Amino acid sequence: MNAIRFRLNGARLEEGLIPPSTTVLDYIRDHLHLTGTKEGCAEGDCGACTVAILKPGSTRWEAVNSCIMLVPQLDGCAIRTVEGVSGRGPLHPVQKALAEGDGTQCGFCTPGFVMSLFAVHQNGEPTDTETIHDVLAGNLCRCTGYRPIVDACKAATAQSWVEIGDSAVEKGRTNYRRDGHYFIAPSDLPALIAALAENPGARLVGGATDLGLLAGHERQVLPALISTAHVAEMKAVEDTPHQIVIGGAATFADALPLLDEHFPAFGELVHRIGSRQIRSLGTFSGNLGTASPVGDTLPCLIALGAEVELASQAGSRTMKVEDFILGYRKTDLKPGEVIAQIRIPKLRDTESFAAYKISKRYDQDISIVLAAFRVTLGDRRPTDVVAAFGGMADRAKRARMLETELVEKGWTALDDAEDLLAADFTPLSDHRGSEKYRRIVAANLVRRMHLEVTASGVPLRLEVL
Amino acid sequence: MKFDTPATTNPIDQLKVIGKPTDRIDGPLKTTGTAPYAYERHDVVQNQAYGYMVGSAIAKGRIASIDVKAAKAAPGVLAIVTADNAGKLAKGSFNTAKLLGGPDIEHYHQAIAVVVAETFEQARTAANLVRIDYVPTKGVFELAAAKDSAKAPEANAFSGPPDTAAGDFAGAFAAAPVQLDAVYTTPDHAHVMMEPHASIAAWNGDKLTIWTSNQMIAWGVGDVAKTLGIPVENVRLDSPFIGGGFGGKLFVRSDALLAALGARAAGRPVKVALPRPLMINNTTHRPATIQRIRIGAARDGKITAIGHETWSGDLPGGGAELAANQTRLLYAGANRMTATRLAVLDLPEGNAMRAPGEAPGMMALEIAMDEMAEKLGLDPIEFRALNDTQVDPEHPERPFSQRQLVECMRIGAERFGWSKRNPKPGSVREGRWFVGTGVAAAFRNNLLTKSAARVRLDGRGTVTVETDMTDIGTGTYTIIGQTAAEMMGVPLEKVVVRLGDSSFPVSAGSGGQWGANNSTAGVYAACVKLREAVAQKLGFNSEEAVFADASVRAGNRSVPLAEAARDKEIIAEDAIEYGDLDKKYQQSTFGAHFVEVGVDVATAEVRLRRMLAVCAAGRILNPKSARSQVIGAMTMGAGAALMEELAVDKRLGFFVNHDLAGYEVPVHADIPHQDVIFLEETDPISSPMKAKGVGELGICGVGAAVANAIYNATGVRVRDYPITLDKLLTELPQTG
Ligand SMILES: Cc1cc2nc3c(=O)[nH]c(=O)nc-3n(C[C@H](O)[C@H](O)[C@H](O)COP(=O)(O)OP(=O)(O)OC[C@H]3O[C@@H](n4cnc5c(N)ncnc54)[C@H](O)[C@@H]3O)c2cc1C
Ligand code: FES
Ligand code: FES
Repeated sequence: MNAIRFRLNGARLEEGLIPPSTTVLDYIRDHLHLTGTKEGCAEGDCGACTVAILKPGSTRWEAVNSCIMLVPQLDGCAIRTVEGVSGRGPLHPVQKALAEGDGTQCGFCTPGFVMSLFAVHQNGEPTDTETIHDVLAGNLCRCTGYRPIVDACKAATAQSWVEIGDSAVEKGRTNYRRDGHYFIAPSDLPALIAALAENPGARLVGGATDLGLLAGHERQVLPALISTAHVAEMKAVEDTPHQIVIGGAATFADALPLLDEHFPAFGELVHRIGSRQIRSLGTFSGNLGTASPVGDTLPCLIALGAEVELASQAGSRTMKVEDFILGYRKTDLKPGEVIAQIRIPKLRDTESFAAYKISKRYDQDISIVLAAFRVTLGDRRPTDVVAAFGGMADRAKRARMLETELVEKGWTALDDAEDLLAADFTPLSDHRGSEKYRRIVAANLVRRMHLEVTASGVPLRLEVL
Repeated sequence: MKFDTPATTNPIDQLKVIGKPTDRIDGPLKTTGTAPYAYERHDVVQNQAYGYMVGSAIAKGRIASIDVKAAKAAPGVLAIVTADNAGKLAKGSFNTAKLLGGPDIEHYHQAIAVVVAETFEQARTAANLVRIDYVPTKGVFELAAAKDSAKAPEANAFSGPPDTAAGDFAGAFAAAPVQLDAVYTTPDHAHVMMEPHASIAAWNGDKLTIWTSNQMIAWGVGDVAKTLGIPVENVRLDSPFIGGGFGGKLFVRSDALLAALGARAAGRPVKVALPRPLMINNTTHRPATIQRIRIGAARDGKITAIGHETWSGDLPGGGAELAANQTRLLYAGANRMTATRLAVLDLPEGNAMRAPGEAPGMMALEIAMDEMAEKLGLDPIEFRALNDTQVDPEHPERPFSQRQLVECMRIGAERFGWSKRNPKPGSVREGRWFVGTGVAAAFRNNLLTKSAARVRLDGRGTVTVETDMTDIGTGTYTIIGQTAAEMMGVPLEKVVVRLGDSSFPVSAGSGGQWGANNSTAGVYAACVKLREAVAQKLGFNSEEAVFADASVRAGNRSVPLAEAARDKEIIAEDAIEYGDLDKKYQQSTFGAHFVEVGVDVATAEVRLRRMLAVCAAGRILNPKSARSQVIGAMTMGAGAALMEELAVDKRLGFFVNHDLAGYEVPVHADIPHQDVIFLEETDPISSPMKAKGVGELGICGVGAAVANAIYNATGVRVRDYPITLDKLLTELPQTG
């Protein structure tokens, strides 16, 4: 049937009238007049629009930015807005804690914070400092200075859990059409490939955390979309003997446990991509598909020697991520193709991996420079180095000169790091960072990597304050 | 009520409700998402249409032609208003540029049209079809380049004279054995309150109602009336909940005017919200400053000469950022001068943002004090203590009503562990971090302004307060409720507070940290009248009557308060009006900020590690909300120190980073442990409440405390805010 089916605040809903690229925020505020959810930016930056969802088949609440999520993405989900947290009954523990702990001032950010905290609370996650830090990264508040919110967050855990009897509706799959516009969400790979072949004008969409900006921020109409979100074969993240396999529809959140285990530095970096709201929906494939020069996973995937498997009606082909990225927002994806898998080789005992993200503020920020290194250590010197940088050129790119010199001259090449990088990169100046800063900091990160990979054991980890 | 002699003991001093840490009475409305903000008030009037603003794509010049044909023909479009068909519009007294531009364009994203349609999507789509041909003219966009053409601005009610002097600054500075002469800069800042400006307007005949988000209701009514050329009686503004303002909503902005014009043209109610990416260039911002500070001192550390000059820019007819004003009052020194200069810039309108003047002024002055202390070989706290003054240094016959700056510093030093600090810059290293601490004074004046309220008592003993005062997140609902509860002897639950409606008595409004003291003093005045009326009704002598426990008592007779209003509600209205106590005494608030930072040795990333503010700001009416105000202000100050900066496109004349992705404000992870201490203080000179403001004090000086801590950590003195990684990295000491 041509409708989007989901559960909203406990009640089943079927929506068959709205244009497919309507954002969830516009839908709930303007169409349903559920105005508790706020619009602060319409681009995923402030979290005022946060709602919580249960994806099809999942029992875990996830916070998402409704301003860049499209209504058809809700198909099969259960969604709770701030109105559905306590209804007319007593306040939910997080609402109570925020009200009593002065975690709200002007209150405009508050429903977003409530929903971020609601998801954590309902999942029974611990509210240790690290989790709170992670949870709040995607919610901006200009009034409170955050401390009262953090305290409220801790206070809420002490209070009992509230039964919210929700379940996702059913397996998500839609073929939603309205006025010639459509949003197709196939449930397996052959169907996806067929849909791509039949609709050459359509765009692939993963979590829509990039594409959704066009609908939210730019208010563009996206007439033809094919979603990967429900493709069964593409959702898994697997630990195989020699590789970590990330499905083409796997979100950052899906992959984090395995990344944390096998490539802690990569995991730590992914924890700093956007916010929980972004990581609940955003995919690795989308990050590759966008091919932004500051896409955070790209230098890491390149340095780790990851490859992508591209599927289409013509069959499938595999290539290195490094070769897949062709230029500024340009990839080797051919019409009718989809990234079906990303495969990351596991590190050998002699290999170390380090990654650094430098940004003006700690979270929710576009990188100024991103550096990732895979180093094979021989007898006190590197025998193989792959160094990839973001923010230094029109795309994520390897520093070939640096790699060669490090292997040929050993660590003494560090003295020339800046010059060697200059041979590979001519970074831009913008308001985030000058060209000079980028050059110096990139060289310093090479030195930091040296300290880290040669210091036995204790890595100099990114600090969480 | 006239307040012209210092307050004596009054019912507020009972402190049964006032002064207690009290939960915000509007907290549950906010955490459940039921507090209604302007744009979502679907219930106030039927049949609302949507307006979408078209903003100018040039910074300066004129519109050669504007073609609305295609837009008009687009589906759902109800009306399009431009300067051509808007009718005669004046400019509001508080606006520098017109809210609807054309044919002349004064700044980038100045509104030049509003397209009204059935749905938001239709309005927006049609707005994209408006075709405009511009004739751009050359503008001036760079303060540094325009500085030499700057002139002394005209003085206004808030500014004081552009030039001030006492003694012989030039002579004393030249003769001083220890001198500092340094230039500091602060960039343009954006308020970026979380709620974008939004309004719904509806006409009923010639009467106009605007549901909006505005800090100063009476100013707004006046300016809407003036702009549209209609009588003030015909305008009603209603703004019960405001998603933050910070000065950005002191004035009527284009959303309100466009909604009113759109509603008139479409013949039905219209709502307009400014999209986030249009807000920063369409509305106001805190202007950038260039500041030169000269301090001369004797070797013993006594300041003999202090001079502060400041330059800022604004559109023609605009105002200066008064960054030198605090320097007239903060430290002793017989020879002194300040000079304020204003250049014409064609950037969007500069105007007030949280602690206008002092916020950027203290960012500079308090680095200068740190530099001077170092030159003198003095501890920065000792240096400030040495130069403390209990009188207005320009007019020694005027004492400060209260001044506990040194106490704030000393108590803060003890709490923060200042004595453990290593004064030698760049000498503390912890792993990958340089570590340092810094201090700065906080200072902000306390302003007195008339404020009125109405109080009603009904037969159930409920006290209702009505005033056009606003709550922009500051906690006004609660402190006004506490004031009425204290005065009438009822629990807080028995008080209903209604704010933000222009049909209520005119209050001080929310701005300049004057809201709390003045608006509660206005409620105090009205309650005094209500007490008299109640006493009379119940046959008590109002001098003797005690209002407590929801009863009125004198001798051994006690009557329930509700009894007085059993047959008929009792209504009292009054205002607090001030005499010349603020002329006889200087009224200011003081504080000290302490900050510890870590600076990454390889990347120059700065991490705040600890922040402490100690404040002396009169009676603290609600320690809970006051603390939040200060913590929020410290956070904004930290943002100004480390990241906030509107980047100017110097060729095209607009702010490039005009959204929340580009204009970074602190996120949770940027902000470390923060603490606030309020010193015991009551200031009987300020009002019967004996309170002063705190909301802006908290931001004044924080930036410098961060800068000073970074200097202590690294030995790198950055005088150009924000202190970004690239300004630090190239100067960092070499490390192994
Ligand atoms: C607030 C905010 C913060 C952000 N922070 C970061 C950050 O810190 N670091 C960072 O790197 N990025 C960040 N992003 C960008 C974005 O979240 C990532 O790029 C994310 O990986 C995109 O994934 P997606 O699934 O949402 O992509 P989508 O928006 O769905 O798609 C993006 C592109 O990829 C294509 N695509 C999607 N799936 C496939 C597939 N399977 N095969 C081929 N092509 C495909 C799409 O056609 C589209 O062109 C942020 C975005 C926002 C809004
Ligand atoms: S509205 Fe700001 S993140 Fe959605
Ligand atoms: S309370 Fe105002 S933005 Fe958070």
